[in-house]
Amino acid sequence: MRTPLFNWPTLLFLAVAIVALPFLQRPVVAAEILTLGLAAVALNLLVGYTGMLSFGHAMFFGIAAYATGILVAKLGWSGFIAIPVAVLVNGVIAWLVGLICVRRTGLYFIMITFAFNQMFYFIAYSWTTMTGGEDGLPDIKRPLLVEPQWAYYAFVALVFLVSLVILKKVVDSPTGRILQAIRDNPERAAATGHDVSRYKLIAFVISGTFTGVAGSLYAFAHQIMPVDRIHWLFSGDLVFMTLLGGSGSFIGPVIGAAFYTWLQDTVSLFWPRWPLVLGVVFALVVLFFRGGVAGLVETVYRKLFDKAPAKQVATTT
Amino acid sequence: MNTFLIASQLLNGLATGMLYALMGVGLTLVLGMLNIPNFAHGVLYAFGAYFTYAIVKLTTGTAIASVINPFFIGVLFAPFLVVLIGFVIEHIGIQRLYAAHHDYQLLFLFAVALILQELIIIIWGPVGFSVLAPPSLSGVVNLGFVVYPMYRLTLIVVTTVVVLVLWLFLTRTNVGATVRAGIENREMVSVLGININLIYLLTFGLGAYLAGLAGALATPILGLTPSMGADILPICFVVVVVAGLGSIVGAIVSGIMIGIVQSLTSIWWPEASNVAIYIMMGLMIILRPQGLFGSR
Amino acid sequence: MTAILRCIDVSKHFGAVKAVSNVSFDVEKGALHSVIGPNGAGKTTLFNCITSELAPSGGEVTFEGTRISGRKPHELPPLGIARSFQRTSVFSNLTVAQNVWVSAFPAQIGTKVELLRHADSHPEVADAIQTALAEVGLARYADQPATELAHGDQRLLDFAIALAPRPRLLLLDEPTAGLSRSDTQRVMNLIEGLKGRYTLVLIEHKMDVVMKISDRITVMYFGEVLSEGTPDQIRADAKVREAYLGRRA
Repeated sequence: MRTPLFNWPTLLFLAVAIVALPFLQRPVVAAEILTLGLAAVALNLLVGYTGMLSFGHAMFFGIAAYATGILVAKLGWSGFIAIPVAVLVNGVIAWLVGLICVRRTGLYFIMITFAFNQMFYFIAYSWTTMTGGEDGLPDIKRPLLVEPQWAYYAFVALVFLVSLVILKKVVDSPTGRILQAIRDNPERAAATGHDVSRYKLIAFVISGTFTGVAGSLYAFAHQIMPVDRIHWLFSGDLVFMTLLGGSGSFIGPVIGAAFYTWLQDTVSLFWPRWPLVLGVVFALVVLFFRGGVAGLVETVYRKLFDKAPAKQVATTT
Repeated sequence: MNTFLIASQLLNGLATGMLYALMGVGLTLVLGMLNIPNFAHGVLYAFGAYFTYAIVKLTTGTAIASVINPFFIGVLFAPFLVVLIGFVIEHIGIQRLYAAHHDYQLLFLFAVALILQELIIIIWGPVGFSVLAPPSLSGVVNLGFVVYPMYRLTLIVVTTVVVLVLWLFLTRTNVGATVRAGIENREMVSVLGININLIYLLTFGLGAYLAGLAGALATPILGLTPSMGADILPICFVVVVVAGLGSIVGAIVSGIMIGIVQSLTSIWWPEASNVAIYIMMGLMIILRPQGLFGSR
Repeated sequence: MTAILRCIDVSKHFGAVKAVSNVSFDVEKGALHSVIGPNGAGKTTLFNCITSELAPSGGEVTFEGTRISGRKPHELPPLGIARSFQRTSVFSNLTVAQNVWVSAFPAQIGTKVELLRHADSHPEVADAIQTALAEVGLARYADQPATELAHGDQRLLDFAIALAPRPRLLLLDEPTAGLSRSDTQRVMNLIEGLKGRYTLVLIEHKMDVVMKISDRITVMYFGEVLSEGTPDQIRADAKVREAYLGRRA
């Protein structure tokens, strides 16, 4: 028996989302939803599936975005070449940072990812000749082929889809299962023969790499990389998207990203203090809806069809 | 290299280091007792500064100002206003979330930090301010080997006294002993039949006080910006990681150390001074993962 | 006589506290060897030295002639060693079958990292899971989340996780601790059923449990070996009676 990669509600959701989004929102906003959605799904590989709460994923989003931006804007590379190179560079950095971070667990891990995030923020902030510092890195020109808004959206949607397929395959793979085992019970996972820190590092690198893929795409969205997208507050935003959508679900974080982008796009138009709204929603989710939107949907679905309880996934330690 | 410059940078490092130490101790108390890194610690520090600014503005020119300099009123009262905020946070959020996984408490505090930082901008605007040190603490003192600003020197003295008083509180009083015991062994405190919720509330309040006080004292040298809390928070985390989780002495030592590393780096390579402390943290995790004074 | 597991002068000190001092004993292939002693005798510390949760301060533990003490816990299963936990230790958000998968997969396929194949795409792993679940009698719960199992069933699942790799040595840490009388009986029946097919080391403080089923018993007292022998020899041993049975029985 072959297990399908996505079950039909997820497929339906993905299909509707990808096709309908650009009609509901401006293409660039729709692209941003998918971009941040990818970043949040990638983060959730760590948060929801491995039980490691990273408060530093903005660094990988940012490093890849800046690397892409620098290659395109400063060195004149084509975006199509810049993206894979930037993703690779970011992946190596994720591996190096991960080597240090996975040495500690729990609160330590959270604080260390957070602190390293700030380090890379400072580098981006002070290395003005390369990054533009506070003003952001401008002139990140899209490749000609994806220059029009619609073409750019299609490109983002394609990368989003391919990345999600890969991530889902990872989640369903032996490695994905071992990560979930480590999340639930690291001591027992080790006692059954799994090198816990090696697997944590693998999860960290894959997660950081795909968050970086999102970052690379993001560099082309507005053709400028703002410095606040590598700040730790944005790391918190990514965690927020993951949680709001539901860390217990593979696809849930996309919903969180959609809400976040929508909130930013609409509320910020008439009220620059939109992060306040974000904070309030976040606090309410944490206090009252810890399963996120996906958790809510699942609860309702279960009540309607009387299914066995879905796997509730908490972030751990 | 100019010895005068190095000496004054050392003292500068000590001054900011003492602020980091205050922040670090506050963070350690909450972390040890409640088992959460307080993501709102930075924004509470910012409120300490802004409340001081507000009190100074409010009292300048009034009758009280002729008796006592408004800045002193600010430093005295602002931290207690911050404690009130701390109590509210603990009461509406943290206490509800004790049963949930501590990640949720941490995320709640992140949300609170977001909200409070925006409130600062709404109340006081996005542009920063500065607060002047009172005339009695302005000017410079000749220390023999270096001429040094009076306020910074006072800051070093005051924070040292605060740390000592805190140490006496933690070692010589019953409440303090309970808090310390709780940091070292949370289970034990609940076994002892102590009202753990009250102790949590007090600890959170004490942490908030230290953050508020650091913010108040920092105003004349660091000024005020809405992002000041977000900027100092990662440094506080580095202080705690370098110190070792749950070590109060460690937090003081590593706070000072980080302040000095930062200010010495800025002599030779100013741009790197902010990066240096994170590299130091990275090295620490590689060489001594449990931190300077940590056992777990 | 072939010793499959040997503890040679194993000591473990925590500062000045000598939790385990110079403990030596051999476990024969195919035997059920129990280590007993009152609470605080150092049984769990010794167990942790054998499973490499702790590194001994002195002496060594060997398995089939190779030294295993001082390694990392995850290095033991590939050698053919499995363990159960005193407090039920399962993967609560995984299904029952997936729980067993976690130990069956590395035993059947190895520890190389597989990223793109589906976790359930190996029929030999599925067989090992089925066998282990059938052995403990949980086959019908295979697709249920582990958290939904009753407490006693969770302990049996814990056993299934340990059994699935078909270990040559099975280490059991107080397998009946915290269980009801009927669940204790189920677990004891299971252990009796394993006898002869597996080499078993059982850490236990319930005397009655051990006397009935063990081939050989090592008695620990204040971190040292007080006596060793067959259940009958132990029962007859005056030292043991004085130190342990005298107070309890």
